[in-house]
Amino acid sequence: MSMTNVIEAEGLTKWYGSRRGIVEVDFAVAEGEVFGFLGPNGAGKTTTIRLLLGFLRPSAGHAAIFGLDCWAASSTVHTRLAYVSSEPGYLGELTAGEQLDYLGALRGLPRGAWRPMAERLELDPTVHIRKLSHGNRQKIGVVHAFMGDEPLLLMDEPTSGLDPLMQREFLALVAEARAAGRTVFLSSHNLPEVERACDRVGIIREGRLANVSTVGQLLGEHWRSVNLVLEAPPAPGTFDLPNVEVVAITGREVHLMVRGDVNPLLARIASLAVRDVAITTPDIEDIFLRLYSAPATQAPAEATP
Amino acid sequence: MSAAFRLEVRRSRSLILWLAIIALAYGTFLAVFYPVFRDNYKLVDQYLSLFPKELMTAFGMEGSLADPGVFFSTYIGGMLWPILAAIAGIGMATRPSAGDLDRGFLELALSTPLSRVRYMAAAIGGQIVGMAVLAAATVAGIYAAGRIVAAPFDLVGFGLAGAVAWAFGCAIAAVGTLLSVATLNRGLSAGATAGVLIAMYLAAAIARIQPDLAWLGDLSAFRYFQATPIIDEGRFPWGDFSVFGVVAVAAWALSLWTFRRRDLAA
Repeated sequence: MSMTNVIEAEGLTKWYGSRRGIVEVDFAVAEGEVFGFLGPNGAGKTTTIRLLLGFLRPSAGHAAIFGLDCWAASSTVHTRLAYVSSEPGYLGELTAGEQLDYLGALRGLPRGAWRPMAERLELDPTVHIRKLSHGNRQKIGVVHAFMGDEPLLLMDEPTSGLDPLMQREFLALVAEARAAGRTVFLSSHNLPEVERACDRVGIIREGRLANVSTVGQLLGEHWRSVNLVLEAPPAPGTFDLPNVEVVAITGREVHLMVRGDVNPLLARIASLAVRDVAITTPDIEDIFLRLYSAPATQAPAEATP
Repeated sequence: MSAAFRLEVRRSRSLILWLAIIALAYGTFLAVFYPVFRDNYKLVDQYLSLFPKELMTAFGMEGSLADPGVFFSTYIGGMLWPILAAIAGIGMATRPSAGDLDRGFLELALSTPLSRVRYMAAAIGGQIVGMAVLAAATVAGIYAAGRIVAAPFDLVGFGLAGAVAWAFGCAIAAVGTLLSVATLNRGLSAGATAGVLIAMYLAAAIARIQPDLAWLGDLSAFRYFQATPIIDEGRFPWGDFSVFGVVAVAAWALSLWTFRRRDLAA
């Protein structure tokens, strides 16, 4: 067990009877890292988080936080983390302030510890929760997560329902947490958010971890789209180059995809009379969709930070 | 008091308050009419003799309604209290596990350093307090109103009957807690607890009517909740009280054990 890894999952598997939860998931999250966890509904994100929180006992494998077994030592593990649920069931009969005081008391925080964060997120603590909009209820979760100083933040789709301004504020909070040396595990549907906030990203697909890499690697290892407008139609075989795939050639217009080393392609383009060129890198959403469009067995997995 | 226990009591407050109001109102209403039964007991007994004996027995009406013990057993022990105790017990028992799992509150509370055992212990503490308040209100209503109309109600006797009623209610809550923890399904556990209670009520009635089936009575919780001798003779039924106590403690202990070990997923 490495001391620098805050979270470690090894062969983590959960079956609900014959129904698949997650299968042999391996990953590690280093101290001070912001780790994004991406996947569509039903992929196994929430199951993974529940295993990390010790709400579920693994069918096989092992998960540890700060070196402590997530199932056997869950209460001890919880002293060192703050959690935001994707669908928190706050008590409608309480005000937001009362709810936060209650959760704060369970975490050993003083009464009113939530006030600075509530002011920052413009959450009215005096309104009964049943009267709050979905977005304002979600703010309670964000306030709850950031009102203490636990070294690990475990967040399950924390920004769903937040308006763009609050999402930006949330990203600022995550950046501050990282600067303070806290570790963040962020499960999300929001791909641009993960791209902006996270150091590394794990993509889970049909219960299996399809890919774990840095955001930079994820973007760099994938195809770039190259669109050329030439002065004249290219000769056949002009773009028969390593790592280059010809998508379409329509007269003088050429659409290529390139991966890895782009220098051979650039050299070839330089030898041609080019009227216009556009090279676009895919965003993380393109990569996510590409991973999901490929058969499950083709997706690589890389587990260590 | 822990934050979890305080919150549990607060969440039960509304349910217990409304049930206590019902108990107070019902008890007061009946006690005010007690002098009518006492002063006209011959006529009342004559009138009741027109009904089948089995029906009277099924409702626990074994004796004259002028007798304070029979009066309490008939209207409180055999009618009001089982209903109130079932509503309160099932409500408080199924909320903290199955109910809070469904609504998403359970994982919020348990993602903190609060352990599963402490969470459930706080819930059980809330049930014990809630049931005690309800039993006290039920006895207080009928006793206080009875004193106003000069009914010969004995505080000690009524208090002891209230203590057994409390233990009976705790046993219902404990079994409801166990079923809720085992199934994590609020509807199923509430329905099963209510179903078992109804079956026990019928078993107790059948056992009284049919001597051949008297053994059925031993399987029923109602067999161990006999208020008449407590009130009339001032004798506390330690054996019956212990039966409820053992069931409650065993079911709660098993609930804690199960809750600590099981997956928390709907």
